[in-house]
Amino acid sequence: MKEAILPQELQTIYLTILIVLLPFAAFILNFLFLNKSKASGWVSTIAILISSIFSIFVFTAIWNGPVIHVQTIWFTIGDSQVHAGLLLNNLSVLMLALVPLVALPVHIYSTAYMKDDAGYGRYFRYLSFFCFSMLALVVVDNLVLFYAFWELVGFASYLLIGFWFDRPAAVQANKKAFIMNRIGDIGLLTAIIIIYTLFGTFDLEKLFGAEGFVTRYSYIENGTWSFYLNHVLHVPVSRGWTVMAPHTVTQIPAIWQYVAFGGIFLGVAAKSAQFPLHTWLPDAMEGPTSVSALIHAATMVAAGVFLLGRVYPMFNTTELNILAAVGCFTAFMAATIALTQTDLKRILAYSTISQLGYMVMAMGIGAYASSLFHLVTHAFFKCLLFLCAGIVIHQIKHVKEDNHLDIDPQDLANMGGLRKKLPVTFVATLIAGLALIGLPLTSGYLSKEGILVQAFEWAELKGGAFMLIPVFASITSWLTAFYVARMILKVFYGDMNLSKLYPNITIHIGDGGWRYQLPLIMLALCSLFPLFSLNPLAHSGWLTGGLPQYGQYTAGLVELMVPVIINVGSIAMLYYAYMAYIKQRDKVAAQPSLLHRISFNEWYIDAFYQRVIVRAVMTFSKALYWFDLKVIDGLVNLFERIARCIAGAAAWFDKYIVDGLLHLAAALVAYIGGIARRFQNGKVQYYLFSMLLAVIVVFILKILIWNS
Amino acid sequence: MNLLTLLIFTPVLFGLIILVLPSSMRASFKYITLFATLLQLAFSIFIYVNFNADAAHAGISHEAQYQFVQKLPWINLNLGGAGKMQIEYYVGIDGISVTLLVMTALVMVVAAVASWEIKSNLKGFFALFLLLDMAVVGVFCALDFFLFYTFYELMLLPLYFLIGMWGGARREYAAIKFFLYTLFGSVFMLLVMIGLYLSVKDPVTGNHTFNMVQMMDPKNFIDGSVFSILSHQTIMGMPARTVGFVVLFIAFAIKVPVVPLHTWLPDAHVEAPTPVSIILAGVLLKIGGYGIIRICLGIFPDVAHSGAFWLGLLGIISILYGAFNALAQRDLKRMIAYSSVSHMGFVLLGIASQTAEGISGAVLQMVSHGFLSTMLFFLVGVVYSRVHDRDIYHFRGLATLMPRYTVYVMVAFFASLGLPGFSAFVAEAFTLAGAFKSHNINGLLPYWMAVCGSVGILLSAAYFLWTLQRMFFGTISLKGGDFWKGALTDIDWRERLTLLPLAIMALALGIMPSLVLGKINESVLALVQYLQLK
Repeated sequence: MKEAILPQELQTIYLTILIVLLPFAAFILNFLFLNKSKASGWVSTIAILISSIFSIFVFTAIWNGPVIHVQTIWFTIGDSQVHAGLLLNNLSVLMLALVPLVALPVHIYSTAYMKDDAGYGRYFRYLSFFCFSMLALVVVDNLVLFYAFWELVGFASYLLIGFWFDRPAAVQANKKAFIMNRIGDIGLLTAIIIIYTLFGTFDLEKLFGAEGFVTRYSYIENGTWSFYLNHVLHVPVSRGWTVMAPHTVTQIPAIWQYVAFGGIFLGVAAKSAQFPLHTWLPDAMEGPTSVSALIHAATMVAAGVFLLGRVYPMFNTTELNILAAVGCFTAFMAATIALTQTDLKRILAYSTISQLGYMVMAMGIGAYASSLFHLVTHAFFKCLLFLCAGIVIHQIKHVKEDNHLDIDPQDLANMGGLRKKLPVTFVATLIAGLALIGLPLTSGYLSKEGILVQAFEWAELKGGAFMLIPVFASITSWLTAFYVARMILKVFYGDMNLSKLYPNITIHIGDGGWRYQLPLIMLALCSLFPLFSLNPLAHSGWLTGGLPQYGQYTAGLVELMVPVIINVGSIAMLYYAYMAYIKQRDKVAAQPSLLHRISFNEWYIDAFYQRVIVRAVMTFSKALYWFDLKVIDGLVNLFERIARCIAGAAAWFDKYIVDGLLHLAAALVAYIGGIARRFQNGKVQYYLFSMLLAVIVVFILKILIWNS
Repeated sequence: MNLLTLLIFTPVLFGLIILVLPSSMRASFKYITLFATLLQLAFSIFIYVNFNADAAHAGISHEAQYQFVQKLPWINLNLGGAGKMQIEYYVGIDGISVTLLVMTALVMVVAAVASWEIKSNLKGFFALFLLLDMAVVGVFCALDFFLFYTFYELMLLPLYFLIGMWGGARREYAAIKFFLYTLFGSVFMLLVMIGLYLSVKDPVTGNHTFNMVQMMDPKNFIDGSVFSILSHQTIMGMPARTVGFVVLFIAFAIKVPVVPLHTWLPDAHVEAPTPVSIILAGVLLKIGGYGIIRICLGIFPDVAHSGAFWLGLLGIISILYGAFNALAQRDLKRMIAYSSVSHMGFVLLGIASQTAEGISGAVLQMVSHGFLSTMLFFLVGVVYSRVHDRDIYHFRGLATLMPRYTVYVMVAFFASLGLPGFSAFVAEAFTLAGAFKSHNINGLLPYWMAVCGSVGILLSAAYFLWTLQRMFFGTISLKGGDFWKGALTDIDWRERLTLLPLAIMALALGIMPSLVLGKINESVLALVQYLQLK
């Protein structure tokens, strides 16, 4: 039933398959043959290089062009066919291009960063596997495969967080990451099952496309969620759509629509580290820094936002409001935590959570395009920040190893004054930091201001308490400015703290070779405005033009005022931080106040999970085991004992009653025999006496009893 | 020669050879056993490949649609006025059994290889092993209830001795517990079987019959007989058919095992030697699931329909209860035993849903669990055979010491916790989908059951990953110190050769679930249709 696929479409399809499979081929090659070889790094890097070149071709072919959706039957279960296929639209090709473009610099960087590690080959194996899963995740066309790769990226992340598996902290962290992601996974699975039950298909386009079942043919009314299809679909069969019979009606109670939303939300919250499932991400920093840059900053954690983008038509207003509120809260909370952290990577991790919060919030307020735009810009500058952090940490570690010091190379207290030693890193960090704050001329400005402007417009229409959301988003933006400034000032400005603490050490550090510098330069260029918009002061770019907007625009004063206010505030924060940390005018972080404690201890959320939830589950499982051992098995053993008692009683009965009766009878016979025997003693007198006795008895009976 | 008959009796033939051979040739016994199981595997693969999976060969309630059938008169007694006693040697397979057969054959090969570790009384061990092999294969093929029961009981005897003689410290307790538990189930099964025999008449010969396929047709029941659908007989005030269903269900539920009838399993597993653990978890448990589908659902569809909620509930309880218990274990083998309880709960849930997705998922889960539990128990055996300890807290950092072993452990653990790409994922996901969908299709299970079931997937991640973290990662620290360090060598070629096919099967079924689903789909659809007709 399929229309012929056009040749240029066919080429795009093949290229896409290649893009996805090349990293997989690298994984297999490294797994089977290059276990210990240094060549594995280059195999993976070349694979991702070719993928990124192809991805640009595919991107240009699809962006604002025809959607390609091809599929083939994967397996049949009952009456339903489960397909495997590709769905290439603007959203997926955007991610398809983004992932290899970020992954490429990370690969190059890693070949240098990991070169002295014993697990070099293993590292690239995992990295390639991750790239494969992530690329497949963004192009698959149905929910089953989506879920499969969704878990596989989590699995790759598990492997890489626990890359140094002999470190207890790392394996604690990867277990936590996987289990928290599992919570999201079962949410997503539940949502998929609910959708499948109602609509009978897993196909993303059939469900969420412009003419999709969820988009057009489902509604909630009188407490039921109904799917009603009253005509044959007028859709090209070439897209792999089967023609549905008219009058398909399915219904389930409306509550399950909200459960499905809740499930998807859990999935998003776990993967994109939103409150309340965000606590795994800071711990995930136990992995190599290059991994944090790719997986836990730029790509995998964005998958949650991508999922929101894929299933967006499903959400109703209430649900969108929940998304906006949770996103905003997460952004604010994470920013407050980032203010006081002393571990360089933890600051960045919380910053990532905060920015992901922005994206989720943007989805909630209908700023669909801006959200994804921010996802893209954030991927570049946050990846860059991590790579810079990696260089700094690496260099401090060198100092540590050269001088046999006992210090934490990630602690801000051991840094400072690195600006002159690491000039390239410094400039790159600065660019990325400014982009993160969202100052003009950077990519971050373009995307973030778009979100904030729309947030204000959205809240204005809604009024009331909804105003809190843009207000807190703005505060978060200022907090961001502060913690970025604090981080950069502490790392690069002032004096080298290590040489102050240990005056006799030698410090030989530098930016490193081209394999360090090239990725930084590539990503720094991508963090500036020209890639996304020729107008450095726009609130959007060419990117947002290709994606749908669901929010309403009033294009009023807000559009002018918001960026001005936000940026003036941010610059004020920068100045404040500069005065505080460099001029030492005000000792901001010196007082361990209550607020400081809350922030430093990450709002005690993780502690709560550990002490309450984990402990409760463990106690419950121990109690159930006790129940199993003592009650159920106890019951079985009791039965056994009862059976034994009965058997004992039976044996007793057998021995004393059944046998006893027998013995009694025998004894009785013997006894009677004993008596009778005496009559046969052979004495005539005795016989005579007996005879006489008998005659007398007969007479007595005859006379006394019968006659009376 | 009928292929199924060949498949069933090949092992026992070689078992006889072992019995006849002098004990001085004991070194060859394991090779003979291995050869027998390999031969059986070859037969089963041949059967699988030649199995016709179209709708005209769906089987279930149509005798003509079964494949590889052999039907011979076995016990024919003329009972005078009571007619003829008709017991047949009647074997045949449909979609429900064919994939389980291949799985069984492969598991048997692995179990044979795992038997390398057995050192005492080899003749007895391998003879019993092959007898057991025959019995389990027979159960999957038998279509005559009497024959089924014979094979079913025949499994008990070798298992009792295999656990009781070659087991661990508390082997006698475990063996007798296992024996009594299963005997308890099957004794009452015998009564129901006789009741069914007396209720059913072969429409052709007019005799009473043990033919299970004929028992599925309500027309074959004699009016007024105890299990007739129309006559509504009662046993002690309860509907007779309900009693019959419950009795059969309890018999099979003990095998599955369904909570609260599961406590024989951890003990039996912990005490059994590795090959027996493998057979127990890999094959024995599936006989429970198979029996529920073929006999409970097949012969009592009306009761299965009205009691589906309770079956589903028991499934959910098994899933969650098993998972929580697994979390509390410190003996690795016990942990895996409880995880088996949890994973088999999905089978029951899927069956209870009586949807195509649910039942297909259940069968796939049985096949998948067959491979995965085999792998898991074999892996436990690897450590146990080296240092005779299984306590999770006595090991740490095994990944550094035994990297290859750790790779297989990770494959088995992640496959078992339902990582996509491995077989358990598709099985569990569709079992849950079937359970959820059930409310819309046939109204049997409430929606929340599927949601509860998914929590089991979360918990499985918790207990497997926690074990990985405690035993395999971190710095090396062993209870037995340097002696253990020396003893814990990485897996050798024999162990790798055993684990690799299992890992490949788990992966293959995950990527191409159609390997199983393609063969079973028509039968499942026929079954679902049959169940709807009641």
